[in-house]
Amino acid sequence: MQLRIHTPEVRRSRRLLTVVGAVLATSLALAGCTATTTSKSATKAPLTIGVSLSLTGDFSDSGKAAQRGYALWVSETNKAGGVLGRKVELKVVDDASSPDQVVTNYTNLITQSKVNIVMGPFSSLLTVPASRVASRYHYSFIEPAGGGPAVFAQKLTNLFFVQPAPTTSGGDVFADYILSLPKSKRPKTAAYAKLDDPFAAPIAANIQKRFEAAGIKTVYDQTYPAETADMTPIVAGIAAANPDVVVGGTQEGDAFAQMKAMIQQKFNPKWLFEANGANSPGDFPAAVGTSNTNGVFSSADWYADSQVAGSKAFIAAYLAKYGGTVQQIDPTSAEAYSAGMLLQEVAKKTGKVDNATIIKTLHSGTWPTLVGNLSWDQYGAPKGAYLLIQWIDNTLTTVYPASKAQAKPIAPKPNWAG
Amino acid sequence: MHALIQAIILGILTGGVYALMASGQTLIFGIMKVVNLAQGALVVLGAYLTYTLFTTLGIDPFVSILITTPLLFLVGIGLQWALLRPLHGEDVAQLSLLVTFAIALAIEGALSFAYGATLTNVQPTYANYSWTVFGYQISLVRFVAFLLSIVMLGVLYFILQRTKFGRSVRATVQNPMSAQLLGVNANRVSALGFGLGAATAAAAGSVFGMLNSFNPGSHYDLISRLLTIVVLGGLGSIGGSVVAALIMGVASSLVSALASPIWSDFTFFIVLLLVLLLRPRGLFGAKTRGAL
Repeated sequence: MQLRIHTPEVRRSRRLLTVVGAVLATSLALAGCTATTTSKSATKAPLTIGVSLSLTGDFSDSGKAAQRGYALWVSETNKAGGVLGRKVELKVVDDASSPDQVVTNYTNLITQSKVNIVMGPFSSLLTVPASRVASRYHYSFIEPAGGGPAVFAQKLTNLFFVQPAPTTSGGDVFADYILSLPKSKRPKTAAYAKLDDPFAAPIAANIQKRFEAAGIKTVYDQTYPAETADMTPIVAGIAAANPDVVVGGTQEGDAFAQMKAMIQQKFNPKWLFEANGANSPGDFPAAVGTSNTNGVFSSADWYADSQVAGSKAFIAAYLAKYGGTVQQIDPTSAEAYSAGMLLQEVAKKTGKVDNATIIKTLHSGTWPTLVGNLSWDQYGAPKGAYLLIQWIDNTLTTVYPASKAQAKPIAPKPNWAG
Repeated sequence: MHALIQAIILGILTGGVYALMASGQTLIFGIMKVVNLAQGALVVLGAYLTYTLFTTLGIDPFVSILITTPLLFLVGIGLQWALLRPLHGEDVAQLSLLVTFAIALAIEGALSFAYGATLTNVQPTYANYSWTVFGYQISLVRFVAFLLSIVMLGVLYFILQRTKFGRSVRATVQNPMSAQLLGVNANRVSALGFGLGAATAAAAGSVFGMLNSFNPGSHYDLISRLLTIVVLGGLGSIGGSVVAALIMGVASSLVSALASPIWSDFTFFIVLLLVLLLRPRGLFGAKTRGAL
């Protein structure tokens, strides 16, 4: 048996231990209380969403359009009671259209501002680095404007592109329509004028592949650099080849220039598809003249006369908040708004809005948005298709697929009004 | 053959517009030995002024030249007086590069703030109209723009050859020191010369806005073309810049229509390289410098 002698030093040590123990116990108790308090207030705390947008620089117009879409969804959601009773707060920071700044911004949003959720910037150029940051911190990344091949090539499983299909599939629906025609009524020859751009040229190239496989002969095929301001020589080459169908793998400015050159050279193909530009409800008529729009095809996910459920309410809320006309609403605003809708849908379905739940939940099922019902493959590429739209009587009209068409496609294309 | 002739017609008409832009650029260099990197931005500014006059007051783009040209003439004088005149010393040429680039960036920034980055263009009712002549299409706007360029260049020629100011300019270009000794006010000549260069940019901008979609960043592409033209023509030679602009227009148009648009600008640079290897001062640099 060991004799236990309590010397003054030992007694002092025991008192010290007692005090330390009491302090620890009190701290733990307080920590417990704090934890309880935090978890209680968490249900009432606002849901913070961080977004980096191009409010200045090259993408500023589109960045601001996305900002309007996000902000509108936030204000509409808060009016309706928020997400699971939590008020939504949007924190937008400017990336000046810079891929470097966007990395800094999302890192700060996640680590400094500690936002609950992050959503995507504008353009694939910025979405690629931004989504990597989100992935590193295990955040979900619902993004409305990054649909280029580089985005999905990253193989990130936290990413969801809020448009019906990858951007380069934008023309597939036009190929579907042409190849749905009886062989005798299909075009026999085709011309392709492609902007040297990773989002524009592949759209035309995909159509060309399918047309050639179906026996539609290519009579003109040229790619032009982005700095080509004057399209008249190119259109002169196309007119000399006299194709039945012209496919423009375009962005906006070059699409306008192509059509202006066609009008000036009085060359009117039977079918004319422009990947981008012709789907802009306000800018396109202003650029080529309203009377010259008739019969031009393009593809879109959302536009002013869209019949998708919720579109009319979105338009009404948008005009009430920002003013202007319905034709001035940029589709990017609808896409950003749709990103918010997805979050709300996940919350409704699961009762949770944490990142792991969002990622897991969106990987299954189909989700209604302003840009249609969306579903994705494992790397966030949407599995749907764009709508084929055509200018009919000065209005963008869905003409294919037949199940969603508002009118039958007009072909051959009416003559240019001049 | 049809495509070839059509491409040549297009090239000549387009070259005429570039000649107008480049004439101001080369005039400024001739007088001040300043490579004006803001010339493209001044063209874009002219295009936006035309756009505003057209969309808000309904003033025809060609008529608006009567307003934009004197306006940018004054702006040019102001810029020279405020930003270029104070530059002194041996580094003036290099400093003026930086200053004119800063002016270009400032104009771009102001236009971005006022109009945003979206592409726009000036679209009068006749913008897409064209005549069919022997089966070839001649765009009304391009044709009138070409005529306008000839008229403007004629006015410029008249000013330089037939007026007292023109004599002062030519004297300054030939020998600045002697010109000053003979009583020519170099500062005044420089300011008016810069104003004249800006005025040609205003006229060209009105036409440019009808022919192309543009945004505040369009000046980068423009300035690279303009510099190429004035170097090919011979820095300081207006006649040279006109010939070089026509060569560029026709070469680009031909290669684009008959070969590939990808090679269009590249071909022009090959021509430039060959000319500079054989004649380092450009096509007309040695012969006409000093005479403008």
